[in-house]
Formats: sequence, C-alpha cells, structure tokens
Amino acid sequence: MAIVEVSGLNKTFGSGELAVHALRDISFSANAGELVALIGPSGSGKSTLLLCMSLILVPSSGRIVMNGHTVYDAGATDLDVRRFRRENIGFIFQAHNLIPFLNARENISLVLHLNGAGKREAARRAQELLEYLEIGHRADSMPANLSGGEQQRVAIGRALANQPPLIFADEPTAALDTDRGIRVMGLLRKIARERNSAVITVTHDHRMIEGFDSVYHMMDGRFVDRTEATH
Amino acid sequence: MDLAVKDIRRHLGKFIATIAGVGLLLTIVLVMNGIYQGNIADGVWLIENTATDMWVVERGRGGPFNESSRIPLDAYKSVAATPGIARASPFIVYAAQRDVGGANQQFTIIGYDVFGVLGGPGRIVRGRAISAAHYEMVADAKLGLELGDQVRLGQHEYRVVGVTGEAVDPSGNPLVYLSLPDAQEIQYQQDTQALVAARAANLKRLERAGYTSEQASKLLPLLAGSTDTINAVLLRLAPGADAEAVRKHIRDWLYFDAYTSAEERELMLEGRLRRMSAVLGLFRSLLVVVSIVIIALIVYVLTIEKIRSIATLKLIGAPNWVIVRLIMEQSLAITLASFAFAWFASGLIEPRFPRTLIFLPQETLATFLVMLAGGVAASLMAIWHALRTPPQVALGG
Repeated sequence: MAIVEVSGLNKTFGSGELAVHALRDISFSANAGELVALIGPSGSGKSTLLLCMSLILVPSSGRIVMNGHTVYDAGATDLDVRRFRRENIGFIFQAHNLIPFLNARENISLVLHLNGAGKREAARRAQELLEYLEIGHRADSMPANLSGGEQQRVAIGRALANQPPLIFADEPTAALDTDRGIRVMGLLRKIARERNSAVITVTHDHRMIEGFDSVYHMMDGRFVDRTEATH
Repeated sequence: MDLAVKDIRRHLGKFIATIAGVGLLLTIVLVMNGIYQGNIADGVWLIENTATDMWVVERGRGGPFNESSRIPLDAYKSVAATPGIARASPFIVYAAQRDVGGANQQFTIIGYDVFGVLGGPGRIVRGRAISAAHYEMVADAKLGLELGDQVRLGQHEYRVVGVTGEAVDPSGNPLVYLSLPDAQEIQYQQDTQALVAARAANLKRLERAGYTSEQASKLLPLLAGSTDTINAVLLRLAPGADAEAVRKHIRDWLYFDAYTSAEERELMLEGRLRRMSAVLGLFRSLLVVVSIVIIALIVYVLTIEKIRSIATLKLIGAPNWVIVRLIMEQSLAITLASFAFAWFASGLIEPRFPRTLIFLPQETLATFLVMLAGGVAASLMAIWHALRTPPQVALGG
C-alpha cells in the first residue's frame, strides 16, 4: 500500500530569467514498510522535495497524496497542515533538534501530549519507545548530557511517538561517525520493517544507503537514476 | 506539558539572575514612587501638623517655608488684637546642623510659645510637650535621641522631654521643638571670637565717623543685631469669624500677608514641591519605560535563543498556542517574579532609607498593572518573531 505518492511535481523559485527550477516533474511512491533514500549533491533538489512533502513549501504544480489524503493537487487545500504533520509524519533531523530544556523522555512525550495523550500515558509510552531504542536508562538525561548517537535515538523515538505512517529523515547520519551512522541506518530499517512505516531519508552519504529498498538519485531537480533493493 | 516552566527549571540560574536584575530596576521604580509620595508628605507635614488656622507672614512673601519671612516679635500682639482672632502665637523655624546624638546631623528647629496652644509638636510618641520656659526640647526619633538625653546647642544643654515620630520639615529633616526664647537664642547666638570681631569693627566705624572712643563704646549696644524677630504668627480664629475678613484686616492694617493652612499647603505643593515632584514623576515614568524595554529585550533574546526549538515544534505539528504560551508565560514569569522581588526589596529598604518613603497601595497596584501590561506587550514582539519563523529553520545542520 502506497503511503506517499508524488506525481509530476514541479517547484520553481522566482520567475522569468531569474527562475530556478528546483524540482522538475518528480514522480515516485513509497509503500508501508519501505525504506527509501533520496541521494544527491547539494542543490540537487532533495531538500526541496522533502520540504514539499513535509507541507512546508507549496509546489508549483503536481500532486501529492499521503496516507490516502490528497495534500496537494495543483492548488491549495483546506488541510490543517500542522495537525496533518502531527498525526501522519515523523521527522528526524540532521542536528537531532531535541528541545534542550526537556529530558529524553519529555522530548518524546511532548509529541504525545500534542496529540492529546495524558501525562502518565505519554510518559509510559515515551519510556517504552526509549526501551525499544535501547536507551531506556537515559530517560531522565538532558540532551546536553547525551552522546550524538543517543540524541539521534531520542529524536527517532520522538518521530515514532505517534506511530506515523510516514517518517522523513533529513541527513540523519550527518552529525555521526561512520559506526554510529550505520547503527542509526540499521535502526531506521528495523523501524520500517517492524512498524510498517514508510521511511524516506535524504542523504548525500553513499556509505549509508546499503539496505535501502529504493534509492533515488537526484541531480538538478530531477531523478536521474533509481536503484532497487541493495540487500 | 508546560514548556515555559520546564525551560525556567532547566535554566534556573539564568532566570534568577534575570529576575534579580529586572527586580532591582523595578525596586528603583517602587522606591521612586515612595520618594515621590514621601516628598509630598514631608513637604506638607509641618503645615498639616501645626495647630493653627492661619499663618501670618511678611508682606509679599510666600513664607515661612517657601521663602524667608521676618516680622518683629511684637507684631503677634497686634495680630492678636485683630477682630475675629481668638489667639495668636509667635513662631520661628530655621535649619541647623550640629552634633546631636553622637553625629553631625541636619535638622530644623521650631520655636514656639510653649505656654500657648499653637505651634507645638503634633505627634509626640514618647514623653511630653515642653512645659518649662527654658532648656527643654522635643526631638524627632530620627535624630536618635531618647527621653532624658542632654543635647548641647550653643551655650546651653537641653533635655529631651518628648520624642516625635516622623516629624519632619519640607526637606525631610527631623524637627526639634524649643521654647521661642531658646530657639531665638540659638539662632542668633554668635561665637565669642565673632562677637569680639564685630564689636571691634563697629567701634572702628564709629570712630571713623567722628565719635570719640568713649562715645563709640556707649553707642555700641545700639548697633547689635536685634534678636526679636520671628518668621510667622500662628493664629486661631474666634468661633464664627470670617477668615477672609481677618485676612483683609491683617493685610490692610498690619501690612502682613495671611494664609490659611490649606493655602499654605497649596503654596508648598505648587512652589517648592512642584519641580521636585515633576522631576521624580519624570524619572519614574522613564524607569517604567526602561524596565518594559529591558523585559521586552530579555524575552526577545530568550525567544531567539529558542528559535530552532520553536521551528522544531512547528515542524512536529505543535499549534501556535503552544508557542505563544511558552513565550507569554516566560514574559509574565519574569515580570511577576521581578515585581515580587521589587516589592520585597522595597519593603526591606524602606526603614533604612534616608528619606521618607510612602508606598501607597493603589500606586503600587497601578505600577504593577502597568508592568503587567508592559510584560504582555513586551512578549508580543517575540511572539511575532516566533510565529513568523518558518519550520524549515529546524532542518539542515
């Protein structure tokens, strides 16, 4: 089942001679449980595509369907964007972006709170996620006291908190050394399989794409190549 | 989950330092309020606490407090004979700086007719009023004197028989009450060396004018300055007397001016106190504005420090009210805690402050409400910035 379907997506910044075509006729889909990589050099358009799919940037044309909802179809929708993101998308960032004044458990339970979970319920589920990510013993630690790998695991826990069908990871291993990066990628793979989420990862690091189901190579706003499962 | 409280707990030291800083500034605002009201209260204390219906002063003068007023001692007898007056009593007032209670202190001496009923100390908290013609005094507690203490003023020692509370002149200096002759003696008393020098100078002037030494010596006492001068006459109107008619009579027949206590109070407020009050009012307005600007800047900086977290909150779907609440709560927490600090600190300062401080509850409340509104307004700039921050700020390294 396709969790995200993008078809004929274009994004142009500016107009006339100054127009920059960041995305040109992008079409792809990702299914539940699938691990997809968008790879390409800086300026290739992968971050723009992620921003469009995250409902942050409005595409110039094309269609995006996510989890059965048409979120963009050549015109604005009356979608409550933040609510949709909260309920359907989990984000993992390059710099982890944990809230520095919340401990590991609170960083995860915050997302649950935002979705209406009670205090105890949110804390219980956050603790479960931390155990699942094998950092349950660091639940009370503040982000500043966690290693980079531990911070990224908490960030992954936060992305998983609402059990979203779709997870976007923006350069999730950029701030980690190779060993930790490989472990985080393994964790994303595990999440895609065990939680049946579509995980779309933006990266420019070719070392990290082993084990992905699909790898889309981007250049100048286009998909120039697609590699199927490498495992 | 209350993000503002979590942030404050995490950065408690920084918040306490901020609150202490803003709180000290607000303490100055509250103290300025206290000085403002204290200045007015001190300014009119003596007028409001001197038992009299009218003040008779030198013609054309706004005295006896706004400017000097000198009238002959005997004039009070003429005033007493005016139709409609039940009693008249001489009154002198002058500033002094002497060693009192082991310290060199500035105070104001009041001389009055201790056997009359006008002009005496209004607020004796210990002891009694002066009952002897000489060498007794009533002093304000601010001078640090106790009942029975002996104080040397000039050539004599005066025994403290009464202590007043908060009896001050318009400048906030404590009052000392003496009998009129004692007060006059202290006022006009000259040092022996100064007397000898004055005598020699006068003698020389007379001799230069052609008098023989013998003649000059006889004339010398006539050249000595008169000490029979007072600053005002206090009077009590007879029952049913028309104050305006009394005033007119004194003005036309005795060539003095007469003010009711209400007019004397108005003279003080509109004259001597007006500029001081305006300056204090301006300063406290400026301090309130500066405080609000500082709170605004602090809240803004605190928000800028969290801008990536705010962008992350937006990206993970937090509604705007979560962000607004975070900023608003912190702004209010800083404002409320700083005001509480200031309120507590001003209470500690009050008894130790060298001037009278009067904190009117309604004025403190008004300042609090202004600061509260300022705190809310201060957070608007930060909220505006936070709400305009795009969620993509959270992305990237």
